[in-house]
Amino acid sequence: MPTLLELQRSISKAILSRETDEAAHLFVGDGLIPHERLNIYRNTFLAGLTSALRISFPAVHRLVGAEFFDGAAQCFIEAEPPQSANLYLYGAGFADFLARFSPAASLVYLPDVAHLEWAVNCALHASDAAPLAPECYTAIAEADPARLMLAPHPSLTMLRLEYPADAIWRAVLAEDDEALSAINLAAGPCWLLVERDAEGIEVSRLSEAEWRFASALSAGETFATATDRAGTIDMPLLFAGHLAAGRFVGFRIVATQFPSWESPT
Amino acid sequence: MGGGTPLHYLDVIRRDYPISLHGVGLSLGSAEGIDAAHLLRVREVAARVEPGLVSEHLSWSAAGGVYLADLLPLPMTEEALEIVCRHVDQVQSAIGHRILIENPSTYLQFQHSTIPEWQFLTAVAARTGCGILCDVNNVYVSACNHGWDASRYLAGLPANAVGEIHLAGHAVTEHNGCTLRIDDHGSRVDEAVWALYAEALRLFGPVPTLIEWDTNIPTLAVLIEEAARAESALERARGAGHADAA
Repeated sequence: MPTLLELQRSISKAILSRETDEAAHLFVGDGLIPHERLNIYRNTFLAGLTSALRISFPAVHRLVGAEFFDGAAQCFIEAEPPQSANLYLYGAGFADFLARFSPAASLVYLPDVAHLEWAVNCALHASDAAPLAPECYTAIAEADPARLMLAPHPSLTMLRLEYPADAIWRAVLAEDDEALSAINLAAGPCWLLVERDAEGIEVSRLSEAEWRFASALSAGETFATATDRAGTIDMPLLFAGHLAAGRFVGFRIVATQFPSWESPT
Repeated sequence: MGGGTPLHYLDVIRRDYPISLHGVGLSLGSAEGIDAAHLLRVREVAARVEPGLVSEHLSWSAAGGVYLADLLPLPMTEEALEIVCRHVDQVQSAIGHRILIENPSTYLQFQHSTIPEWQFLTAVAARTGCGILCDVNNVYVSACNHGWDASRYLAGLPANAVGEIHLAGHAVTEHNGCTLRIDDHGSRVDEAVWALYAEALRLFGPVPTLIEWDTNIPTLAVLIEEAARAESALERARGAGHADAA
């Protein structure tokens, strides 16, 4: 008699990999061959997770069609099954999977669209957080930029993509064939900011310098480092815009990384 | 727990209605234990909405660190009973709320099972103080699939522990000449299930009832018709209760 642990590992293996031999002898036949009974569970497993991916990647689904999507989803589910019951956050690796998935190789922009949709999905489900209150602005303005760090809103993602995935994403979801055919795939990389505000999800295109600044700040670099990354842009104006948009929810003044620079007084 | 629009809607609904919190992901029957991060999320939601009822399934969904996204059947053994009871205790103390355990629909039975499912549920309720969510459609589906007696199943449950009833439609499928009923929540409640529901109400009294319909969703009018049919059966059960009292 198997222990519960052994039984669950056998069935899990059968569902994930179709290797039913180990599990099949555990249950009563009742007129059905064992692997048919396991298939009912395997089908529910695949259908449920495919539907979760379809909800998170609607533009990828439309771009490749239902049949292709289901096939790709099945390969992905078998390779990277979920590790958590929180299925809203299932599919973090789908974009990278598509980049390696040879049947999709001709759609060079597909992984970028998937990266964008994942950022949108994360923004939709991210925790709520109150933006920095205006009372903090003085302390921020007076802080040493080399010691000032900011905490980004949980919904914020910065993306640098090779293809104009934002234009493709908008055109596909709006079913706008004219906009889709006008897209120039060779236009060069695009620098995106994805966030959730009071109106919903926003996907904004930034200049490279603006992106480098916001990206460094949201990754936890100091204000001084973020400024260095960005080069010559109007930093105070840009930063005021981020604060007004509620993109930062906390700040701290850290001990300087270079103690020798600190004044002895 | 996440935020944004879904949480906002939940808060708005909670302002006007009581909420029944129905879980599918706790995997109460996992030999490897309950995912602490998931239990924490459920606790946060429960603390936020202060639900009237909280329920989960008599099943498992996780093994080897993989979440299988389905309600998988347990062997009905003393070992499984002990594990489920330990996890029900863990959940009830984590969220500070009694939970109801729902019978699943199953498509296979284990050779080494020794306890009928209704006795297993009865034992979990007796040992942990949890209640039972009796899914009448699942009782019917499993009874048909495994040759159990559905009426005997219902009569075997402790009436005072049943705190909620579920109804749903199911699909009838053929596999090499063998009929199997699949719980798909995709059609009207079967007539045989309505008859079993009437039986359940006679046994358990007018227990809060939910109709599950989440695939092939019909027009609102059809849903309202189904709900009205359940409501009139509940109304009759309430009348019968008064008659008994008199």
